[in-house]
Formats: sequence, structure tokens, C-alpha cells
Amino acid sequence: MNPQVAMDGLVAGSMIGLGALGITLTYSILRFANFAHGEFIAWGAYLALAAGAALGSVFPGLAAPVGPFSFGWALPVALFAAIGLNGVLALGVDRLLFGPLRQRRSSVIVLVMASFGAALTLRSLLEFIFTSRPAYFSKALQIALPLGGGIRATPDQLLTLGVALVFVVCVHLLLTRTAMGRSMRAVSENVALAGCVGVEVGSVIRVVWLLGAGLACVAGVGAGLLVQIRPQMGLDLLLPLFAAAILGGIGSVPGAMVAGLVVGLSEALAVQFVGAEWRAAVAFVILVAALLLRPQGLFGRAD
Amino acid sequence: MTGPSPPVLSTSGLVAGYERDLPIVRGVDLTVRPGELVVILGPNGAGKSTLVKSVAGLVPVFAGRISLDGSDITAIPAQRRIRHGLAFVPQTENIFATLSIRDNLLLAADILPKDSRKSRLDSIYGMFPDLAERPGRRAGALSGGQRQMLAIARALLVEPSLLILDEPSAGLSPKIVAEVFARLAAINASGVTIVLVEQNVRAALSIADRGVILVEGMLRHSGDAKALGADPLIAELYLGAPRPGGASVA
Repeated sequence: MNPQVAMDGLVAGSMIGLGALGITLTYSILRFANFAHGEFIAWGAYLALAAGAALGSVFPGLAAPVGPFSFGWALPVALFAAIGLNGVLALGVDRLLFGPLRQRRSSVIVLVMASFGAALTLRSLLEFIFTSRPAYFSKALQIALPLGGGIRATPDQLLTLGVALVFVVCVHLLLTRTAMGRSMRAVSENVALAGCVGVEVGSVIRVVWLLGAGLACVAGVGAGLLVQIRPQMGLDLLLPLFAAAILGGIGSVPGAMVAGLVVGLSEALAVQFVGAEWRAAVAFVILVAALLLRPQGLFGRAD
Repeated sequence: MTGPSPPVLSTSGLVAGYERDLPIVRGVDLTVRPGELVVILGPNGAGKSTLVKSVAGLVPVFAGRISLDGSDITAIPAQRRIRHGLAFVPQTENIFATLSIRDNLLLAADILPKDSRKSRLDSIYGMFPDLAERPGRRAGALSGGQRQMLAIARALLVEPSLLILDEPSAGLSPKIVAEVFARLAAINASGVTIVLVEQNVRAALSIADRGVILVEGMLRHSGDAKALGADPLIAELYLGAPRPGGASVA
């Protein structure tokens, strides 16, 4: 086996894990599978691209590559701006679509179908604004560095992996060490009781959208940095994201990340041993196997 | 000369339920004075739980008014009523099973001013030493009685002016029920006003000051708890007790 598979799988898996984190949070707290989450990934990438381009045109020095990386300071700054803008987008979608449906106490299937509609609309808007041609944060070529054991990785890949891990740790700490995290876990378990004890459920829902969209943005920028940016990128990631969220156990932060890495590694292994054309089937197999064998996921509780 | 103290809770003409065309609570006028322990009794389906849930903000109110300490709270959402001094302990699923004991309590403490949280938490741990033994323990691992104590402790943490409990004895063994009622009597003796919905009529009346009887969503009778328990006609008509030497009313 080529050991490079492990690095490729880990890098791809870290992005899947970040995206799955958003899915698992919205699923556990808003109680529906949000099929528009992939579009927040794509929108995050395009918003960062647009913000980075705007910054680069005003301050050309910010566009010049920094150190060993393929991008300049414009991208990290644009990332933070895009996280905020993507959050606003998610809150807007909730305000226009999901919020009114929640108020009408619509069933889960209505919310899921609405998320399909939102996904189509958001993707079409992206194609309308940015066209369907692939875009890139940087076209600079990078030389992969030898890491030992026959494994090589570009500085961008290593940075992306590190950033993903930092965000996962931050979200885990938010959920386990803060009052908002406590409220989120309470709403996730019993929304009516959470209201009874004084949890502002509306605030929790807004934070979940902001957090999910922010993580989606980071995943989108990471995926865009390592591969390319396309309006379809969120759709392509959707199945691996759901596979990771369910395999990890709905609501589990470490579970989403670990399962994201499992999905990423499995896809990389499938490419090497079975064939690249089977890559997309791997997430499906993992999803079905998890639902059949351990529906509560790796880190979920059977109750 | 001073008049009677103003009520902690008063409802006037309260109509509530899940469907506007089919209200379950139909025009209830209820007044609860400070320091009272009032038990709401009645046959199954009388609307007892719906009444207290509507007071807690969990069931839509179609008409009427709910006042807490003189303030109209009818339109205030459930999550804000606790800030007005109303704490509600539901009948089932009244704790967060996946959270620790400490986190269950901290959820309530989060609405208190920061400088008073620790002292309130210490005070609650003093009142409920069982909970203080292993505060990091998952609440779902507690026994039925301990869960009920945790739910009551969490409600008391915010020092409510009114504590409402919906069937706190449900699903508990007689020994634990006795403990829960003894604890509720002690809490009431410390000055907390309590409204209790209960199927365990005798036990509830033994600690209550007053009992009210709800039938088909309407308040049919209100009176001293001891007298209510001793009234054979009331017991037979509304509390399911058999008529001595005769058939029970269907």
C-alpha cells in the first residue's frame, strides 16, 4: 500500500469532518437533516474568494504568497469575513424558510424538503453570480514536503489539517465548557424542558446556524484551497458529510471529526485498491452500514 | 388594618388547550396566596396537567389572564416565565439525562446574576446532599427518586416565588413518594408557594393547605385540604373513592 494514501485521506477527511460537524449540530438541535448544508460550504468558499479578491485589489501586498503557502494574508482575513457573511446567509435562510416552518410546527419531512429547495436555490444563485467555471484561491504550484515514511504533504495541506483540528477542539470546548454549550446540549435533548429552565431557545438556534455556517465556510475554503472551487462542490460533499455525521453519532463533535477522517481515509483507500470511479460509493456504503449496524454511531448512546 | 396579601398566582377565565375549537381548560379562575401549598385534583382527563402547563407557558392560552405576583404573564414565553419567578417541574422527562447533575443545575443557575450563582449552587447542594456527592455523574444514571429530587433542586435554584409540579409521584415507589412529599412539605414550610397536580390524592392532601378540584376543564370545588379529604361525597364524586356500601359513580 502506498503510505501517501493515509495523508490524502486525512486531509480530505478533515474537511469532511468539519462539514459533518455543522450537519451534526443542526441535526441534533434543529431536528432535521439539512440538505442545504453543502451549499453553505460552497457559499463559504465563494464568499472567501470574493472577499480575498477585493482585499487583494485594494491592498496588492496582501495577495502575495506568505512563507511556504500558496496564498497571501488576504485569504485568512477573507476567511474571517466569509465566516461572518456565511453566518448571515444561514440566518437569512432560517428567517425566510426554516423559522416560519418551525413556528407552524411543520413535520420533519417538510423541513427536509424545504432544505432541498434551499439547496437548489443557493446553488443556482452561486452559478448565476460566479458561473459554473472552476475558480482557485491560488494558482501557485506547491512542492510537497517529505514527512518520512514515504509520505509527502504540501504546506497548504498541513495547514488545512491543523486548522480543522483547532476548530474541532474549539467547538468541543464551546459545547462542554461554556454556558451556551450547555444550553445547546439541553435544547438538543429536550427543547420544551430547556425552555422551562430558562434557556433562550431562539438564541441557541441562531448560534447553531452561525456555528454551522462558520464551520462550513472553513471546510469550503479548505476544500477550495486543496482542490478547486465550484458551485457543485457542496453537493459533491453532501453524502460524505452525512455518512460522517451518522457514523460519528448525531450530536457528537469528536464523533463527527473521527468519522470524517474514517470516510476520507476509506475514500482514499478505495481509490487506490478499487478504482477512482468507486470513490463516491464509499460514503454510501459507510452510511448504510452505520444505519444498519450501529445507528447511534460510534460515539452515540444506544438510548 | 392590612388586607390579605396579594396572590402569587391568579388565573381569570383561563381557556387553554391544544386546539382552539376544543379547549381542555375552560374558564378557570384560580388564586394561590403566598406560602400556600395548593393541590389540583380531579379525575383523569380533567385538564389538571393542561392547566399547569398553560400557566407555565407550554400550552397555548386562548382566552383569560395569568398573573404572577401581580404582573400579567399571559403573553410571556415559557423560557422567560422562570425569570419572573415561576418554576415548573414537568411530570416526565424533567431532567436532562445526557447532562451531568452539575450541568442540570448550572442550566438554571445561568439565568442568575454571576455573583450569586455559586452561593445558590452551594445552598442547593446543602439542601440535597445526595446530589452533591457526585455532581459530575450523568443525570440519566440516577434512580427515579433522585431524578425527581434533581428536577426539584433545579427549580428551587432560582428561588422561585411559585413552584409548580406536575405529578411528582408518578412512577415512584411508595417509599420514595413519601420522601418526595416530605421534601415538598419542608420546601413549602420554608416559604415557597407550591402548586401541585397529583393523582396520589391522600398523600397530596396530607401536605396541602388547600385543594381544588377540576372536572372537565372547569374548577368545581375549592377548600381546605383536610376537610376535602374527609368529605365522602367529594371523595366519591371526584377522587374515585367508592361509596361506603354502595356502587361507585361512573
